Amino acid sequence: MKNLKSGNIGLACLATVVVLSFPLLVTQPTYQNFAILVLMAAQLGVAWNILGGYAGQVSLGHAVFFGIGAYTSSMLVTHAGLSPWFGMLAGGVVTSLFALAIGWPCFRLKGHYFAMATIAVAEIMQVVISNWDYLEGAIGIYLPMAPSGFKAFVFTSKIPYYYIALGLLLFSLLVNLAIERSHVGYYLRAIKDEPEAARSLGVSLTRYKLVAIAASSFLTAMGGTLYAQKELFIDPPSMLSTQLSIKIALIAILGGVGTLFGPVVGAIVLITIEEMSRIYFGSSGQGTDMIIYGAIIIVVAVYSPSGLIGLWRQAKGALPFWRAAAPQAKVGEPS
Amino acid sequence: MVHLSTELLLQTLLSGILIGLIYALVAVGLTLIFGVMDVVNFAHGEFVMLGMYGAFWGMALFTLDPLVTLPLTALLLFGFGVLIYQVVIRRILTAPMLSQIFATFGMMILLRGLAQFLWKPDNRLVSHSLVDGKIAFSGLQFGGPQLMAGGGAIVVTLAVWLFLNRTRLGTALEATAIDREAATLMGINTQSMFALAWGIGAACAGIAGVLLSTFFPIFPEVGANFVLIAFVVVVLGGFGSVAGAFWAGIIVGEVEVLGGFLIGPTYKTALVLTLFLLVLLFKPKGLMGKA
Amino acid sequence: MQKFIRHLCVSAISLVMAAGVARAEDEIRIGVIYPLTGAAASTGVELKAAAELAAAVVNKEIPAPPGLVAGVGLPNLKGAKIKLVFGDHQGNPQVGATEAERLITQEHVVALLGCYFSNVTATASQVAERYGVPFLNGSSSSTPLSQRGFKWFFRTSPHDDLFVANFFEFFKDMEKTKGAKLKTLALFNENTLWGGETTKLETRLAEEQGYTVAEKILYPAKTTQMTSEVQRLKAASPEVVMQSSYLGDAILAMKTYKELGFTPAMLMANDAGFSDSEFLKTLGKDGDFILSREVWSLDLAEKNPLIRQVNDMMKERNKINFTGNSSREFTAIAVIADALNRAGSTAPEALRKALSETDIPGSATIMPWKGIKFDQTGQNTLGSGIIVQVQNGQYVTVWPFDVATKDVVYPMPAWDRR
Repeated sequence: MKNLKSGNIGLACLATVVVLSFPLLVTQPTYQNFAILVLMAAQLGVAWNILGGYAGQVSLGHAVFFGIGAYTSSMLVTHAGLSPWFGMLAGGVVTSLFALAIGWPCFRLKGHYFAMATIAVAEIMQVVISNWDYLEGAIGIYLPMAPSGFKAFVFTSKIPYYYIALGLLLFSLLVNLAIERSHVGYYLRAIKDEPEAARSLGVSLTRYKLVAIAASSFLTAMGGTLYAQKELFIDPPSMLSTQLSIKIALIAILGGVGTLFGPVVGAIVLITIEEMSRIYFGSSGQGTDMIIYGAIIIVVAVYSPSGLIGLWRQAKGALPFWRAAAPQAKVGEPS
Repeated sequence: MVHLSTELLLQTLLSGILIGLIYALVAVGLTLIFGVMDVVNFAHGEFVMLGMYGAFWGMALFTLDPLVTLPLTALLLFGFGVLIYQVVIRRILTAPMLSQIFATFGMMILLRGLAQFLWKPDNRLVSHSLVDGKIAFSGLQFGGPQLMAGGGAIVVTLAVWLFLNRTRLGTALEATAIDREAATLMGINTQSMFALAWGIGAACAGIAGVLLSTFFPIFPEVGANFVLIAFVVVVLGGFGSVAGAFWAGIIVGEVEVLGGFLIGPTYKTALVLTLFLLVLLFKPKGLMGKA
Repeated sequence: MQKFIRHLCVSAISLVMAAGVARAEDEIRIGVIYPLTGAAASTGVELKAAAELAAAVVNKEIPAPPGLVAGVGLPNLKGAKIKLVFGDHQGNPQVGATEAERLITQEHVVALLGCYFSNVTATASQVAERYGVPFLNGSSSSTPLSQRGFKWFFRTSPHDDLFVANFFEFFKDMEKTKGAKLKTLALFNENTLWGGETTKLETRLAEEQGYTVAEKILYPAKTTQMTSEVQRLKAASPEVVMQSSYLGDAILAMKTYKELGFTPAMLMANDAGFSDSEFLKTLGKDGDFILSREVWSLDLAEKNPLIRQVNDMMKERNKINFTGNSSREFTAIAVIADALNRAGSTAPEALRKALSETDIPGSATIMPWKGIKFDQTGQNTLGSGIIVQVQNGQYVTVWPFDVATKDVVYPMPAWDRR
């Protein structure tokens, strides 16, 4: 056991070095961009996991948090000239408040019902923002390309985006870890695994779920600001679509729900599949990329219901160094 | 600026019912699958799409009217539903809800890709069908295809309801839906019941597609237009209730069409979804849901 | 299982590596980004066919009719060939930006073309701007795209400002010469970037020019029914319905008009779905009498024989006619080839300079334009729009009156009187 642990620490150190030096070793902007997409996707998956994995509330409407975050920071940039860094925090706060307002009534719902409600909330918000003239409605918001620099959160090189995305991912993982280790995490696990028992012990279900949704939406909103500052254009269909919500959840599920590093693994695999199938088959215009993408999702869902992390564990038969993570998720069992 | 006349209102009301009936038919299949085995099928819209293409190819290749090929299309879709169950769904029955969502989500993408691959991304339509033309009386007018679709939806929904409530096989299916273990003890083969539910579910959606094919454009992504509405109808009617889906379909059709007409079509989707949220929060079992 | 994962990783990495394979030296690579999957895939596939035809003409794989600018080829580059590298943006702005980046840095394209959707053009052209690679936009109409102060952005197509202004000029002309009464308008537009911007422009111009907007509907795209919309239009009973829809919605709207027996005196469509080659193929006679703004029409061959000749080439290769969209993409390739040839080099700055000095007469293109010449913002100043009407299952040019081949049928006949 001890050997295994030190081996893992060595592995972790190696991984850290590789991750930190990646954009210096790989100078091809396409690969750097690819890495950024993976990091951004992983961050969203980790954020989703707090609510969907640890609290067991499957949200299929996370794009709404992503969108509100991006819209808040972008409005502050274009209308008040404030730095997107401030916007990122402001977006997080606004989004958390919105999430609490949504969560409070919706947490009464279980399983599929909660998932459906979140889809509805996101779709309604897409209609609302599309018709909200002050937010430029359907037209969307262009963000200024100049001036660039740290304060403006606009860079001509990919490298700063890489480290910001990485920093945001690490921050999200830390939040995840902190919640998991705290009494909140303890209660969340109790709520998920034994909701009746937890309730009879006087655990306030809603209160802890609210903590989870506030944290999850805050982090998702931060991801939204990063997207806005990277692509410099946002509009309702690209920020608030259900397609995006499902993708966010898919990242976590593919890797392994309720595990710390599951979403990271999920993001690496999903984004790779997505990009590869599009690059090699998308230009044919024959839909081959969708066939491959769809087939892979089905295969993973069928053969590895507990995600790739679960698959890995089965293969190893032992728990690796992220053993602290919650046990196999039984998310969303109809209750 | 808008001049409301009784005629306009009545026309809107009746058109709302017609489209609502189609929603009901799409949702019947979905609610059946859900009721029997607790699986939410994200690829349900794609069954509608396949039904539409069935009608289209019948016309394009053999100049057979969609109504003539309807039984065959329904049969093919039934077989396809059973196949999907056997190949994919059977393996994830005991998996967490999330894997089920994603298996069907993957299927949705796969089927859209396949449709584009096989039949090109073009928009198509079945023109010159038997039901072309329209009926007008006292200022109201209805297209033949829409009337046919509404009527067809009533017949099929009623047939499914009768099957579930008046036949041995249907009762066995219902029994499986209510209590899987008890049904097994009674000697019901739950595996074949599940397969049957998928078959019927896909066939219903396919028939809806056939009925739509004469007035709705047909393209690989068309399922996306219907799947969200179908979910709303299922929840509103109560997960698993065929009769509930029928009435909920009409209600959703009205909220969308009449509500959209009165309040503003811009907000029609938002209206439907708001109703959906309210029902979820205040009457989560839906109108006729089973406890 | 570990083995399986290792295999997966290895094959993924080798796939990445394969993207960077060496290529022939005399090949000039041009990146082209279209929606090749997703809801607009059918349009994207058509655009791709047009671009490929243009490339074949430039490369002299097919003999070009005399006078066509694309037929000049690249003599100044010692007859080098262009190679189009296609990317699929799936209608998603982030994917568009990712593809732009990949094509520039990985495929080493010397210029980018695309993306049809204005919101995708917005992000993809930003990437080109960052890398200092010319971005030539052939068919996105959102006005702000050319007002961003970009140095590397060029647009051959006229934009929404001009198109919407054309509508109102047309109304005025109709009132003057045909005694038409077109005072109340209903705006019926889809609710994304394009429809939103069009609504804004139409509202402003209607107000400035003394028209009444009786109804304004931004409808959600991908809808299952349009009854509520059409009933609203009926209630408002406008003389003109001004509609912006993509293909699927355009077809559904026409079917619903027919079902509910709604005929305004004039249905003024805003291109896109209404001029897609599948619009009439799908609707047949039900598509008759709609008016649409356009940038191209086959009947203009009477004025410019190149239109007929090039369209015949398209018909032979792909069994389809050109549309306003595909003809603009064909022209975009011709413009980039012309600039490459004049630059005599693929160096970005040389190419940018050549593009900015573009001066192609309309008679050397297949567009009914005065020509192609860019201003400082990169916008073509010689482009213009036309208005077509569907008559007997054909698009015919009806405005401006001096290039029209047929007279406008006005008012639009009711459904039961056809």
